[in-house]
Amino acid sequence: MNTVTAPNRAEDIKVGDFTSRGAVPRVYGDALLEAARADARIVCLSADLTPATETDGFRDELPARFHNFGIAEANMMGAAGGMAGCGEMPFVHTFCVFATRRPFDQVAMQIAYPKANVKIVGFLPGLTTLLGVSHQAIEDIALMRALPNMAIVEPSGTDQIRAAVRAAAAHDGPVYLRMQRAAAPLPADFRERGLVIGRGEVRREGGDAVVFACGAMVQIALDAAAQLAARGRQVSVVNMHTIKPLDADMVVARALATGVVVTAENHSIIGGLGSAVAETLAEAGVGAKFARVGIRDTFAEGGSTPYLFEKYGLSAANLVATLDRLWGTPHGRR
Amino acid sequence: MKHDPFDPLETDPEALARHAHAMRRNVVRMVGVLGQGYVQQGLGAADLFACLFFAEMRLRAAEAQWPDRDRFLLSTAHNSALFHAALAQRRLIDPARLDTYCVDGSQLEVNVSQRLGPLVEATCGSLGQGVSVGLGMALAGRRRGAPYRVYVVLGDGEMQEGQVWEAAMAAGSMGVANLCVIVDLNFMQVEGHTDRVLKQEPVADKWASFNWHVESVDGHDIGALCAALARARAATDKPTAIVATTLVGKGVAFLEGQLGHNMKLSPQDTAAALQALDAQAEVMA
Repeated sequence: MNTVTAPNRAEDIKVGDFTSRGAVPRVYGDALLEAARADARIVCLSADLTPATETDGFRDELPARFHNFGIAEANMMGAAGGMAGCGEMPFVHTFCVFATRRPFDQVAMQIAYPKANVKIVGFLPGLTTLLGVSHQAIEDIALMRALPNMAIVEPSGTDQIRAAVRAAAAHDGPVYLRMQRAAAPLPADFRERGLVIGRGEVRREGGDAVVFACGAMVQIALDAAAQLAARGRQVSVVNMHTIKPLDADMVVARALATGVVVTAENHSIIGGLGSAVAETLAEAGVGAKFARVGIRDTFAEGGSTPYLFEKYGLSAANLVATLDRLWGTPHGRR
Repeated sequence: MKHDPFDPLETDPEALARHAHAMRRNVVRMVGVLGQGYVQQGLGAADLFACLFFAEMRLRAAEAQWPDRDRFLLSTAHNSALFHAALAQRRLIDPARLDTYCVDGSQLEVNVSQRLGPLVEATCGSLGQGVSVGLGMALAGRRRGAPYRVYVVLGDGEMQEGQVWEAAMAAGSMGVANLCVIVDLNFMQVEGHTDRVLKQEPVADKWASFNWHVESVDGHDIGALCAALARARAATDKPTAIVATTLVGKGVAFLEGQLGHNMKLSPQDTAAALQALDAQAEVMA
């Protein structure tokens, strides 16, 4: 006998947003909607993560331009490529892992290869989720960097999300947007920050070292620089919101000016920003003291973001210790 | 929709058979030069391609990027000798270019790619991707009120890829009626007969269960194929899957039914196959 008592009509079921954050604004979702109101090519694709990717507002306001593909990312990526081939500008939404690791071949063949005008928007970058290894994207930048034609943009915080959306929409071709949702209500003095794809943003000046950081690590690098300034060490902090194409001129110039280079990313030290900076410096023939702060070639586990960031070295303390180690090491030896 | 007068649709089954025959001849010739290739699939699907390229799809030979053109996706991108032969037969490319097939530097690659230009709507070859791309194109057309339809030729072995069923479920759920998948049911994959790898029947029931309109036809019965394509065009609430049973090597008696995915074709066999096809041509003329 069938004892199932669950409602069997879609309209009977109330959908709770397990990611709801109360008064926290949907900065990404609002920015996308704003862009879509101005550009009729923009369509929104989701894979059963509509509230979690802040696209429910888009769904409700522009339903004809919203497609939920269900839990089937490979199909969604292929369909996005097809849509772009017919003049649409799809913004494709899911978590970073399911946007890169899972449908990699579809992204390569139907988006990167034909230079499709698709914006792949991944949420939960790196260790910003307690959902564990299945949901922690620690190699997504490495995967996307290896694809020809793919641009990679990771805004440094809530204040740069809107600019990142605008820049991605204005960029003709595939973009991987590595997105972290706003985590708190906006402060009273909230001011938005611009973003030019391919151009590093200097957030702090200093001649003793340079930290190239992206995403959540930008604020952490600024915290580390402030601590070091109190000790008389002046550190530049550059927000490398565009990991590809990398601002090679900025990397070389700052490395030559300081001689001490540290990268900081919420990602594996393999294949991400640190690798990109190292490759740039090596090919330019620039010799500088160099270290990468990031997840050190290991999988993590489920846990709170502060706990995981501390445990895996994504911290101001680790950045300070890393810089101190470089300053205390003669050039050319460790 | 008014059709371009310079690209009339062919309705005469005998004329379609002659187009299929000419494409078969080119398939043998193109693969024969290489000594190895996808000759069996090309011979097997030539009737399907004749119906699609001459009787069904709205295309303009002089305007490859005509926005309202029907979209054609070759999910089995390795069936490239036939695809390029069809483009040449339809005068979408210069037939002389067939001589560059698989020559280093040529845009006519062994796996059909977008290097050829807008005639190739997507680069497949990594199997199982064509239906998803077709779904995206169909959704874009539906949203924009565009008159074009989307046709995807899907291999039967490809149905082992899970992505095919992701696309089938989505298209059936979304009721994308301007999408038509033609399953080239030739029972052949790399390791031989499909059933020796994974059993695929009941194929028609699978698509029907995903809420598709299904047509099961003999893939060499041109009249039946055209009728199935017409019923697909008439469907308004569901995508259509035309399950077309084909015989690999069709049209050359000593190749028919030979399972060879990337088959060797000796100069002697090439000559014998061309001779057999030419003998048929005399009968058809």
